[in-house]
Amino acid sequence: MAVDDPGRSYSHPLFDTLERFPGLDLATTTADKLLNWGARNSLWIFPMATSCCGIEFMASAASRVDFDRMGSFTRATPRQADVMVVAGTITVKMAPRVKRLWDQMPEPKWCVAMGSCAISGDFYRDIYSVIPGIDTVIPVDVYVPGCPPNPEALMAGLLVLQEKIALKTAGLKTVPAGRPETAKMISPRIKRVGHPDRMPEIDAAQCAQAMSLDLTEPPDLLAAFTAAQAAAKAAREAAEAAAADAAAADEKGGEA
Amino acid sequence: MTADERQARLAAFMTERFGVEADPWPDGGPIVPVEQHVALAAALQAELGYTLYVYCVASHWPDETPKGGDLIPEHYEVATGLRSVGAGSHVAMWRVSVPVGAGVPTLADLFAGADWQEREQYDLVGVVFDDHPDLRRLMLPEEWVGHPLRKDYAIETGHLPWR
Repeated sequence: MAVDDPGRSYSHPLFDTLERFPGLDLATTTADKLLNWGARNSLWIFPMATSCCGIEFMASAASRVDFDRMGSFTRATPRQADVMVVAGTITVKMAPRVKRLWDQMPEPKWCVAMGSCAISGDFYRDIYSVIPGIDTVIPVDVYVPGCPPNPEALMAGLLVLQEKIALKTAGLKTVPAGRPETAKMISPRIKRVGHPDRMPEIDAAQCAQAMSLDLTEPPDLLAAFTAAQAAAKAAREAAEAAAADAAAADEKGGEA
Repeated sequence: MTADERQARLAAFMTERFGVEADPWPDGGPIVPVEQHVALAAALQAELGYTLYVYCVASHWPDETPKGGDLIPEHYEVATGLRSVGAGSHVAMWRVSVPVGAGVPTLADLFAGADWQEREQYDLVGVVFDDHPDLRRLMLPEEWVGHPLRKDYAIETGHLPWR
């Protein structure tokens, strides 16, 4: 799993060492700067294009916007790519394949969710076969909203990603990619990767199904998930009731 | 032959050979008894030159009582379209209606193109095609439970661990 804390989306051996031994950064900072300068200026893209966003992606690679000039070009294999651009609606049948391809990409790696389907499922999100946002399956670094986003928007997204990598080099903790406003209104049943409330059983089941491609719904997972949902609902209601009580008490206190 | 003449020839053929009520021509084509489904397709293919299999669309109809009418029990309706090829191309279409649980005879023996079309309708709607050579799911994962285009399937049905 690439995510070990919500603030970062990739592991980097050099950084891990630096964080463990303060002072060592003086010796390695130059080499690391160089490595990251190289990494952010040669973001090779694996296009996970499943629908119309893929067309805009192709336009971004063509002469008008042309992300080749900043070192990004497409590789049709996950093994030689740094960035996965998820461009399009991902279905239940496709999601394990996407996860499997993501897991095959070498570290460090980043993910760009391109377009509203990849961000939240958009108006297909309630349909039985559609994933309500690819961040419930793999960690996302940059969200590029639009339906579909135009090539300039994707270019801006890639520049934001470069900036993010540069911040990391400067030793600054990067801000986790916030979901866009529209996506915040939608709370998928399954929490996004890295969310504190995400059940570890979901991660395990997704990994297992990505390996086996057997999409049978695990019955014990369903029971655990239902119980967790009920507990979360009860906790939310208790908190709301407590808040209402406190408000009522305040009002009374005010009157007295 | 104009389009109207081709249409009239088709309607007359269906009425004379299969006793189907085709005047006036209903939307979506006339309803044909399910026993004559294969015979009609074979006759259209062999005698009138409708050699191209165009579509197969199934729909699910739950129990329904129209205003002032009797109960129409739950059933499937399967619409089929064949096209003649070449100049003056024309589409022949008809429907068969079967109760839930009964099968529709397959046209895959007559038209190779019917194979996947019928698999798709089986996958999404749940109609069983009798004697189909390979009736498996086509679009959804093979482990999927249920047929999503049935009226009793909730659209927001989840599928752990993915949604």
